[in-house]
Amino acid sequence: MRHTLFFVAAISASLLVGCSSIERSRNLASPEVSGKTLAEQVCSSCHGLTGNSESPNFPKLAGQQRDYLLAQLTQFRSHNRADPAGFEYMWGLSRSLSDKQIGELASYYAASAPTSGPAGNPQMISAGEKIFNGGVSDKGVPACASCHGPKGEGAAAFPRLAGQHADYLIKQLLVFQRTNERPEGSVMKTVAHGLSADDIQAVASFAQQM
Amino acid sequence: MWSQGIANVLRKRASNAVALVTLLALAGFSSTAAAVPSFARQTGQNCVACHAGGQYPELTPYGRYFKLTGYTIGERAMPLSGMAVASLVKTSSTNDPNGDRYADFPKDGNLIFQTASLFLAGKVSDNVGGFAQFTYGNYDTQSATDSHWKGRSMSDNFDLRYADHLIDSNRDLIFGATLNNNPTVQDVWNSVPAWGYNVVPGSSGPGITPLLAGGLAQNVAGAGGYLFWNKTLYAELSSYRTADGIWSFMSQGFDTNLGNQQILKGNNPYWRIALSHDWGAHNAMIGAFGMAADVYPDATQPSGSTTRYRDTGIDAQYQYLLDPHVVTVQGSYIHERIHWADSIANQPGAYDAANGTALQALTNTSDTLDMLRLKASYVYQAKYGGSLSYFDVRGSNNSQYQTAVAQNDPLSPSVSGSRSSNPGTSAWTAEAFWLPVQYARVGVQYTWFTRFNGASSNYDGWGRSAKDNNTLFLYVWGAY
Repeated sequence: MRHTLFFVAAISASLLVGCSSIERSRNLASPEVSGKTLAEQVCSSCHGLTGNSESPNFPKLAGQQRDYLLAQLTQFRSHNRADPAGFEYMWGLSRSLSDKQIGELASYYAASAPTSGPAGNPQMISAGEKIFNGGVSDKGVPACASCHGPKGEGAAAFPRLAGQHADYLIKQLLVFQRTNERPEGSVMKTVAHGLSADDIQAVASFAQQM
Repeated sequence: MWSQGIANVLRKRASNAVALVTLLALAGFSSTAAAVPSFARQTGQNCVACHAGGQYPELTPYGRYFKLTGYTIGERAMPLSGMAVASLVKTSSTNDPNGDRYADFPKDGNLIFQTASLFLAGKVSDNVGGFAQFTYGNYDTQSATDSHWKGRSMSDNFDLRYADHLIDSNRDLIFGATLNNNPTVQDVWNSVPAWGYNVVPGSSGPGITPLLAGGLAQNVAGAGGYLFWNKTLYAELSSYRTADGIWSFMSQGFDTNLGNQQILKGNNPYWRIALSHDWGAHNAMIGAFGMAADVYPDATQPSGSTTRYRDTGIDAQYQYLLDPHVVTVQGSYIHERIHWADSIANQPGAYDAANGTALQALTNTSDTLDMLRLKASYVYQAKYGGSLSYFDVRGSNNSQYQTAVAQNDPLSPSVSGSRSSNPGTSAWTAEAFWLPVQYARVGVQYTWFTRFNGASSNYDGWGRSAKDNNTLFLYVWGAY
């Protein structure tokens, strides 16, 4: 009997304490939950609390342009952004977000301090720097800096590239180059068209350590 | 004479239990839980978000977070899921000079519908969620009269939890409580017994294992608390008791009268500690766990002296997750000390009818059992994968495991016999699988036994070799 009471007490305590706090909710269907809470309780598990993700499977969001974040979350929600990483992970998470929550999430990450990524092969970085600042003229590739800024900080709908995981940048450049899965970034299809595999590797390595 | 009679009954029961366990392992029945598509509906994400390379049930760091926070991420959805497994087992040799080969290998070479499960899984509130699996085993027990198989519906893995997460720039602490029916089923790493190895229902595995490696699954009810600090330190303390009375909803289909439920004395502690680290696309964990369990030797008469199991394990896991590549490695080592109940210890040993002698004078008062398990896997594009795994069970010569050497005794078939009384069994398993869609997996396994019940050859006393138990296993595993 004593044992039974122990277990009943354990369960009752669990369920009673389960009177949940809206400040620590992981409910993606409630418009009452703030963007900050969602960032802490849900997004942080892959993108990190400050948006500086550890795994290159997930992009860094810290210091990202607010307009770009707004556009991406909206595009995930409407299923217009359809690259595999997008629909596998983000369609579901964004499906019930309100415009207000999306705005709060975008503000949260835009205000977070970004970190630089690790430096790789110096020759690769040097080659990437040339492409980033000067483009590849004989292949019709413009300088990345012309839209994304001389420091890769981005501008409005043009995303920040500085410090982004090289693996993530490579994956996205290939999505732009080879597919139509990101229609909102269709301008990049033309831009990335002339980049070789080595060019992509180089420019991603340069951006990562910016 | 009276004690001789009791000893014979106990020995027969022990050898029957060993025979049953071994046969179930060989015949391809093991309880497992896996993919729960209702969780995918709740988060709206694909299986790969939580399962490494889509190879359920192995969890990604995000999958571990989902479980640790009480299965509460997302929005409430229809909580029902189903799963079914069809399989074919081909054993290297079905020759059994000391038994009935048709009774021992009745399914050999036949494509069968193995098991089907129903899951009730999802979030209940912002802090409470869980999953409950109910399984129908199509080949559960054989009729004593005509060897026909009978199906059975039963409770399978169950885990209900409450969790909260305190996180800001100064702290990151997940804490929670779990109610479950299988020690280690609540764990989030796949190096522990409940989730690491033989995860495909019907896979070949060791027959005799430490109690903590599934020996109490669905027999017990346990409650405990856990915390995960700074994504680094995990600690848990739980207590298990027999799942009877109001807890019997977690052990449906298990009954002392059916001989498949053990009765524990009082509350039995389980502990777990682990250190985890993520760097880049890599993550790793090292940990330890253990349990002290006191089990009545006769479940139908739960009183008096108990058999005391003291299990201690260490485990480790490594994962590399960067699309399209997934590499995972798991390992665990469990050491068990068994102190046999008075009614089992110091009893006359098994009888060798051929020579008219006892194989051992008296049974041991205590024994040890050690189990090493290793597994490495690779998955490409969450579609094509393969794994290589190994297990090695060792232990003291344990007269409880010894089977009598008697000709034409269907209760002591060669396949589950042990002349040496040593539990030593080891095998390699290679697997290749394909996920045509995220909810289905088709695979083939081959298991090479290098040792079985203490010997590589003539382990039964009638000439059967370990390699005769090599198995080819084909499966189709689907869930929705």
